[in-house]
Amino acid sequence: MAGLPAVRVSAGHDLLSGALAACARERYSGRVLVVGTPGGVLHLRDGLVVAAESPGAPGPEALLLRSGRIDAGVWDAVLRESGGARPPWAMLVARGALGAAQLRVMCLMAMRDAVFAMTVGQVDGVGHDPGGEPSAPVEPGELPARLLQDAARKIRALAALPYPVVPWRERPRPAGGVAVLGVLRREIVRHADGRRTARDLAFLVGRGVYPVTVEIARMLADGVLAQDVAPAPIPVRAAAYELRPREAPDVGERTPDRRDGLPRRQPGAGAPGWKGFFRLRHGGPAQHSRQPRDT
Amino acid sequence: MNHEALATELRDLRQQVSGITDTALAASDGLLIAADTANSIEPEGLAAMAAASVGLARRTSVATARGRFRRTVTYGAHGCAAYYAVGDTALMVVLGDEGMDVDRLNAVSGPIVERIGSILTDSAGKPATAKGA
Repeated sequence: MAGLPAVRVSAGHDLLSGALAACARERYSGRVLVVGTPGGVLHLRDGLVVAAESPGAPGPEALLLRSGRIDAGVWDAVLRESGGARPPWAMLVARGALGAAQLRVMCLMAMRDAVFAMTVGQVDGVGHDPGGEPSAPVEPGELPARLLQDAARKIRALAALPYPVVPWRERPRPAGGVAVLGVLRREIVRHADGRRTARDLAFLVGRGVYPVTVEIARMLADGVLAQDVAPAPIPVRAAAYELRPREAPDVGERTPDRRDGLPRRQPGAGAPGWKGFFRLRHGGPAQHSRQPRDT
Repeated sequence: MNHEALATELRDLRQQVSGITDTALAASDGLLIAADTANSIEPEGLAAMAAASVGLARRTSVATARGRFRRTVTYGAHGCAAYYAVGDTALMVVLGDEGMDVDRLNAVSGPIVERIGSILTDSAGKPATAKGA
């Protein structure tokens, strides 16, 4: 851990705090764009935060699908029915696939988690965009100051752990020891490969980035996980030949009616391999696709 | 070819954009040049599929008068695969989870692709070395 920057409430938190305090005073409605790493977006109505999204934290969709709480087939079906424009949360509730209270709690957790991810990261600037509607707003919304206090408390709690972890920094791997593990720890050990951060693992297992980061910090301290000092080498092949552009197949003579470089398709014709595909699908010997029919 | 410079570009890209899970470089003919991939990904196959995808997208772009090909992105339920042209001779593959900020990836990858192109061009026609990354 020596030499790594400390986990702390950053100057970016103050920048965001000032901008959101102004939004609350002016009862702003619209989006607040947080520029930075991972950055994100907060949706406000009348000065209250109703949703927050960040590449640094799983949203409700990832939480529900990755954790298996919603079946992917059910999700795809309601997406098709809804036209696919926005996540069909109301349809899921109407079908009984998800409780209204469960959805609300999930959205609230995702919102707080996104604010945590934005504030523990780097905030370079804040912008405003009056447009944009969140897919799953939490009504009536949270006071911005309360959300930021919650995020700051989490960052301080993380910093106080024996092995503080930043969600986008450490890339742990199993230490190889034998330990009794709970469900979350088992999942983390299964997926920690020395490449994934706490943020990556949170997406993968469908859990909030804060609880996953805390658990990884504890596992590193317990010796269940280990953090390599140097990143794994990236193998690079020596180019034993000269790189050259890919050549398009010359199909001009075989398809004299092609225009502007686009080969014309013939009814019943397929790309090489289609016959093999149908042979596999139908489980029988290859049949010619244009057999004369008995009349 | 400066192997360490190539490896550094791939590593930096993964650290700059949240959600990138794997990256690879391939020649336009599908031969693998470099891979920063998890064990679950077969890099040779990824390189070959990426070359086919970019080849098709490049031809589509030309045949439909969309101008010079830049990138193509395939979206799945659990993330996406983005393929960037590196000049006319190579390509870069970026795999990300569903949280990856594709707009940020596009913004960040522009200069990286240019630098990678320069590194590859520097080595064009020169004899290969056995230097590892």
